[in-house]
Amino acid sequence: MSVELLNFIETVLNGLMSGVMYSLVALGFVLIFKASGVFNFAQGVFALFAALTLVGYQTGQVPFAHLINELFGTNYHNWYASMPNFLAILLTMVTMIALAWIIERLVLKHLVNQDPIILFMATIGLAFALEGVGDLMWGSDVKVLDVGIPSGGSIWLEEATIGLAAEGSDYYGMYVDVLNIWATVIAVILVVSLALFSQYTKTGRALRAVADDHQAALSVGISLRSIWILVWAISGFIAMVAGIMWGTESGVQFSLSLIALKALPVLILGGFTSIPGAIIGGLLIGVGEKLAEIYIGGYFETGALENWFAYVMALVFLLFRPQGLFGDKIIERV
Amino acid sequence: MSLEDLKKIPYGKTAIELKNISLAFGGVKALTDVSFDVKKGEVFAIIGPNGAGKSSMLNVINGFYKPTSGTINFAGTDRNEMEPELAAKSGIARTFQNIALFKGMSTLDNLMTGRLLKQKQNFIMQALYFGPVAKEEEEHRERVERVIDFLDLQSIRRTPVGSLPYGLQKRVELGRALAMEPEILLLDEPMAGMNVEEKQDMSRFVLTVNNELKTTIVLIEHDMGVVMDISDRIVVLDYGKKIGSGLPKEIRNNKAVIDAYLGVSDD
Repeated sequence: MSVELLNFIETVLNGLMSGVMYSLVALGFVLIFKASGVFNFAQGVFALFAALTLVGYQTGQVPFAHLINELFGTNYHNWYASMPNFLAILLTMVTMIALAWIIERLVLKHLVNQDPIILFMATIGLAFALEGVGDLMWGSDVKVLDVGIPSGGSIWLEEATIGLAAEGSDYYGMYVDVLNIWATVIAVILVVSLALFSQYTKTGRALRAVADDHQAALSVGISLRSIWILVWAISGFIAMVAGIMWGTESGVQFSLSLIALKALPVLILGGFTSIPGAIIGGLLIGVGEKLAEIYIGGYFETGALENWFAYVMALVFLLFRPQGLFGDKIIERV
Repeated sequence: MSLEDLKKIPYGKTAIELKNISLAFGGVKALTDVSFDVKKGEVFAIIGPNGAGKSSMLNVINGFYKPTSGTINFAGTDRNEMEPELAAKSGIARTFQNIALFKGMSTLDNLMTGRLLKQKQNFIMQALYFGPVAKEEEEHRERVERVIDFLDLQSIRRTPVGSLPYGLQKRVELGRALAMEPEILLLDEPMAGMNVEEKQDMSRFVLTVNNELKTTIVLIEHDMGVVMDISDRIVVLDYGKKIGSGLPKEIRNNKAVIDAYLGVSDD
């Protein structure tokens, strides 16, 4: 094999793996959109909030420490005890479920049957409010997140591929981050178990029913509100997984919520209502981005192609298939 | 009010009583001062010309619409309005005029949603698919298979219902309602858009359910032949008002009803 081909494969591989993360965030969007018709702008902040909370629990930070100290003149910052990863993740999950419940109570319940644009605006408000709460609870400094997922280049893959290049060429093997491999494995497990759950259990069936037809769901006695809480909690859980992965890679910082906006072009590509669409869309964007970066990135002076290329892909795509790859077909009735 | 209260009522006694129900959307009066009662175990028909408020009435009974005034007495308890969830829990199942099925799901899954309220396993047990979950699924699957047999749906068990022809979709919708094992079944034009043969099938299903399961049936239908054949009692609405009620043969000779359907002559 030529070195060029090997480089190409490496790029695609890395693209697929970063695409998995986009898919995960997009999946959170799609789930909520299907079940409650809300485009949840706050999905990225969910990921940030989950990561912040996880680090907070793990390192034994006192939540709202700054506020408490200001109000009462105390000086708490730390419980002086850290928590095992397992427990911290479990508690973060509980927190995300509580968050879903609070959102249903405070926001969604009062906006039932409003225009989609109003619900959308509400989630924008929610996004910034939640960012504020995250800041208030855990502080705004950049934090290191380590839940024991290994990172760094995969030595196994490097050694396995080093001999593939043609004799005498200067090839060092493929570089793939182990963290990304882990992220992919976890994402696959997550998606498969979600699919099984929704296919074979009664709650899964209720979930699909609500996504399909609200009125019919009500008539068989499904409680829309409890399904909404469930869906928001699942999305919170997915956001937590994404938050852990991104947080491990580049530290838990508030810009994390912006990366999540990469899910928008993914949704345009995959369609807002399709779960396979979200997954494949994410992978396509991931690969497209990496390929563009390597092969045409050199022509751009700033070199920040990765920041906007996904959006260009999405725009081009809109011209040909406005409903996305797997989205419901748009039929205009006259 | 509950399913138990409804079950305790003897056959032939009042199950639901609607008292002076009015319903308005802004300035539009959909129902004005309508009263009638449905007796347990009967086939009760609501008829009337287009726009008479028949579907609105059904929606009031199962809680999709909240009446502007009036009371609903359900199994002995007075209420101002119903809730869809509560109605379902209390044994009321329904079908819709414009079929409301879960189009992306198979016939089997659609029918299984009718079992949701009867399945008791909690969320965490299901997530782990642990313990009695599989057994419970099987049990309810068996009940659903009986409905499938009854309605002759075997061949489309796995087909996504969105791709089925209209008549079959109507039948699947009835199946979903039957899977709930309701005490009261509300049918909104179950035979609309069907050919004669399909109508005969549907009438047979409705009558069998009524005779053998003793399910109370409240029915909206346009086909007068069918209505006169299968209903025990009829109420007639026109422009949101009740203009007549009684046995089929009384309705057939009711002057106001004939006028509403055929128009009033000048002389």
